[in-house]
Amino acid sequence: CSEFQKALKSEDTATKFNLGTELYDAGKYSKANRLFAQIVPAYRGKPQAEKLMYMYAMSYYHMRDFHLSGYQLERFQTSYPKSEKAEEALFLSAKSYYMLSPVYSKEQKETNEAIEKLQLFINKYPQSQYLAEANGLIKELDFKLERKAYEIAKQYNTTAYYESSDYEAAIKAFDNFLLEHPGSSFREKAMFYRLESAHKLAVNSVEYKKEERLGIAMGYFNTFKRYFSNSEFYPEAERMNQEMQTELEKFNTKS
Amino acid sequence: QNIDFNNGKKYTIGDIVVTGDTNFSPQTVVAYSGLTKGETIIIPGEEISNAIKKLWNTNLFSSIDIYLTKVVQDSAYLEINLIDLPELNDVKIQGVKKSKIDAIKKENKLDKGAKVTENLITTTRNYLTNKYKKEGYLNTKVTVNTTAVTDSIQKSRVNMLVYIDKGDKVKIDEINFIGNDKLSDKKLRKAMKNTKQKNPIRILKRSKFIRADFKEDLVSVIDKYKENGYRDARIITDTIIINDIGTINLDIKLEEGEQYKFGKITFVGNSVYTDQYLHSILRIKEGATYNGVELRKRIADDTKPDAIDLTNLYQNNGYLFSTINPVEVSADGNVIDMEIRISEGKPAYFNTVSVTGNDKTNDHVIYRELRTKPGQLYSKSNVIRTIRELGQLGFFDAQQLTPNIKNPNPNEGTVDIEYQVVERGSSQIELQGGYGGGGFIGTLGLSFSNFAIKDLFKKEAYKPIPMGDGQNLALRLQASRFFQTYSFSFAEPWLGGKRPTQLSTSISHTKQFLYNPQTRNADKSRRFNITGISFGLAKRLREPDDYFTLSQAVSFQHYNLKNYNTGLFTFGNGFSNNLSYTVGLSRNNLYTDPIFPEGGSSFSVSAKLSLPYSVFNDTDYKALKDERDSLDPTVAADFARIGEIDQERYKWLEFYKVKFKGDWYTRIVDKLILKSGLEFGFLGAYNNDRGVIPFERFFLGGDGLGNYSLDGREVIQLRGYPNQSLSSQDGGTIYNKFSLELRYPITLGAQAKIYGLTFIEGGASYDEFRDYNPFTLSRSAGFGIRIFMPAFGLLGIDFGHGFDALPGETQKNGWETHFIIGQQF
Repeated sequence: CSEFQKALKSEDTATKFNLGTELYDAGKYSKANRLFAQIVPAYRGKPQAEKLMYMYAMSYYHMRDFHLSGYQLERFQTSYPKSEKAEEALFLSAKSYYMLSPVYSKEQKETNEAIEKLQLFINKYPQSQYLAEANGLIKELDFKLERKAYEIAKQYNTTAYYESSDYEAAIKAFDNFLLEHPGSSFREKAMFYRLESAHKLAVNSVEYKKEERLGIAMGYFNTFKRYFSNSEFYPEAERMNQEMQTELEKFNTKS
Repeated sequence: QNIDFNNGKKYTIGDIVVTGDTNFSPQTVVAYSGLTKGETIIIPGEEISNAIKKLWNTNLFSSIDIYLTKVVQDSAYLEINLIDLPELNDVKIQGVKKSKIDAIKKENKLDKGAKVTENLITTTRNYLTNKYKKEGYLNTKVTVNTTAVTDSIQKSRVNMLVYIDKGDKVKIDEINFIGNDKLSDKKLRKAMKNTKQKNPIRILKRSKFIRADFKEDLVSVIDKYKENGYRDARIITDTIIINDIGTINLDIKLEEGEQYKFGKITFVGNSVYTDQYLHSILRIKEGATYNGVELRKRIADDTKPDAIDLTNLYQNNGYLFSTINPVEVSADGNVIDMEIRISEGKPAYFNTVSVTGNDKTNDHVIYRELRTKPGQLYSKSNVIRTIRELGQLGFFDAQQLTPNIKNPNPNEGTVDIEYQVVERGSSQIELQGGYGGGGFIGTLGLSFSNFAIKDLFKKEAYKPIPMGDGQNLALRLQASRFFQTYSFSFAEPWLGGKRPTQLSTSISHTKQFLYNPQTRNADKSRRFNITGISFGLAKRLREPDDYFTLSQAVSFQHYNLKNYNTGLFTFGNGFSNNLSYTVGLSRNNLYTDPIFPEGGSSFSVSAKLSLPYSVFNDTDYKALKDERDSLDPTVAADFARIGEIDQERYKWLEFYKVKFKGDWYTRIVDKLILKSGLEFGFLGAYNNDRGVIPFERFFLGGDGLGNYSLDGREVIQLRGYPNQSLSSQDGGTIYNKFSLELRYPITLGAQAKIYGLTFIEGGASYDEFRDYNPFTLSRSAGFGIRIFMPAFGLLGIDFGHGFDALPGETQKNGWETHFIIGQQF
């Protein structure tokens, strides 16, 4: 029967506390966590609770149980806002949420939560040593959200080969994307595919809507040209514009 | 001290003392309050109010005060004064059976140590009073008394005595209507849905008097009148007369008023649709009996989402912000002129379309199925259809799919929609061992209906398997001493992600050995191998409507026999090839839950064809047939020759097979669903001299579960008869089947879906077309239950009674029990 097993069954909270601390310091977080979990209620309201709660919460973080570490570290920070560990706890709590953020193509509830928590941390500790890292994480998460929105819009452009009404959906989705993520690195592609969708829609349009749609598409070309005339997509955009010019002339001479 | 509340002043906390009637240690109280000695706070300020809030939130005290006792220079001395809430010590409940007491305690959370608040006492009393009133004890009185426990230790505790006086159960003896000439008592009583006279025959709804239900029913009575044109009808009085024998009479005095008729109905404010068109939807003629209920339904029918009514007409065409109000403009005598005032508003377009809750399934799999798209005109019917189709995917819990309309903006004419989904387990693992077929059979089956094959080599995607691309992957290994089966199949519903064309492919291999009576084991030198491969493409169509799918498949099977002399084949060594092309057209608009569809229909027609080899291979099948007919199979030499001829006939299987199957789901009432089904199959030969092949045949009867199939046979379910008993030994070449099944769900929760069913069905299979008669059926009826759990798939048991005799017998077949595993299609 190991010392750990004995402590686990022991009635004495101090034994558990001491061994738990030892195990925690030795990096045996899972074992330490089990001991701490047993004594957390007993220490509530006592002076040692601050240290205990910190180790308890941190053990979850080290165990990569980020659901619980996010919650427990945040709780530590609210219970002991004056602790010198509070800043670290709040940051790691936010980082726990960051760790939970899934791949861009799934629901982004955790991503949004993480951004919110990181932002709260930055607001609370604007001088923090973790500030640079926090900003980096936010940027990464923002990129994820941008990518999600971009890919959804791009899919309308892709499926439009089958369902031509999807071109309109793509245009609207790219419009929304550009509005909501003005500084995105997908801006160039978004503008290009918006133009491409509008171009396809206009060129294949029924006659009575053609002129209007050509106009809209060429407007998108001008926007694209203004911002990204050095883009690798530019020659293709230029070609589409040419085609639309010809179409428009045809249209004008006809009427 | 007097403190100016407008100007807080900074103090350092000198000390905090805890006073009052409390058992908590001062240290704990101070820690909870969040105030610390030496801390600088502003008085008055938010720190003090926060401390009070925190203490209140513990729900432990009945009174909390914080006093500023003295101020020495900049130090403030605080006092926290508390009174603990009393705790519950013991509960006595009188007036009900002992067995009910624990339940009552649990329902009201009357546990020892619970804090006794005024709220607890009141809610307990109200809860119990209502509970018994609902059960028909109209005169229930509940009293709750608490008495303080005098105790040596300081904790304040109380005992609680709950006294329940249920009184007598009250039944309604008679419901009398006074003043009704136009509608009979019986009709009016029928209109009262929840208040019924006592009646020994009616067992589903007992006669109870519940005031709230009675009030509702009085409204129903008036509605009944309104439906019949008596729009002035009103209840004058309702009286409860208490009889001595625990019953009451209800006397309802009412005034009917006159019957009214519709006058002119005019539309105002409609610019999108003509008056004529709106009238054709409204379907109420001038001079018809005034029926307010019907009128309301024609304008907006809340009970049916698909109803053809005026609101849906506007809602399905983008007019989300439209409102429709019927107004009575004049009542000339009994004739009421109506004006239907329509405010059309701007047409609404979807701005953003989003999905939440997909923590397994990737966005692209969901978004491509959505019928509502950004920039598109709002349409309620598209929203409903999206929900139905998402449910049919099988990745989400169909009962929990919800469309949330967000940010409706009537000025801009935009609206957002968010589809909230809840993932459900869509993978099944089958691992079983058992006895059957003369020995141990081991099965390993894996079926993933939402697989992501692109993540196959990504370590981090294994949680526990790569999921989310909507692909279907199934792997099945089955082995015993006598046979081995390996199969693998894969399907991608959107080939290349551009269009909804499903690609499916499967490979399978089966080995079958004969039994060796000497070694009592499998004889490995005598075997029958089947190897098959197939590719299919299924394309969603847009004509005649977009519920149609056109599918095509090419499949190849190679049968190889070695020393395999059984009754099945006339040749023991040889082979047979089956290369066929299948084309099918199907339509499916079932909704919402694939396990328990509540409406819609599905039907499919398909043809499976081989090449007409006999047209171009220059073999004289007529001569072979004549020769075969002249041979005597009991003579060894002749039998060998028959084998040779059959080998020639079946070298490449030549056949065509036509099938039709249709299922309709109709809602009878509530969630009671009627499924009616019809199916038909025919297997034929191009060259009658070459004959109909012994493969690919139909076997009717039993549970319809296809075990490992040797010869492409199709097993058709017909309950009430033993498996495959209704076809001849070699199988039928033509069959038909009709069935009616009533289903009612017991639960449709996410963990398990359970429904009960009862059925009648009938079918028959024939060896040759000239025997075919669609009216001589083997009939059966019965009942059963289905349980669906995400990890196990569908399990069920059916008891069927066969009314007709099996072929070759004279007695009716009687009861059969069928175990159903997996879904029937």
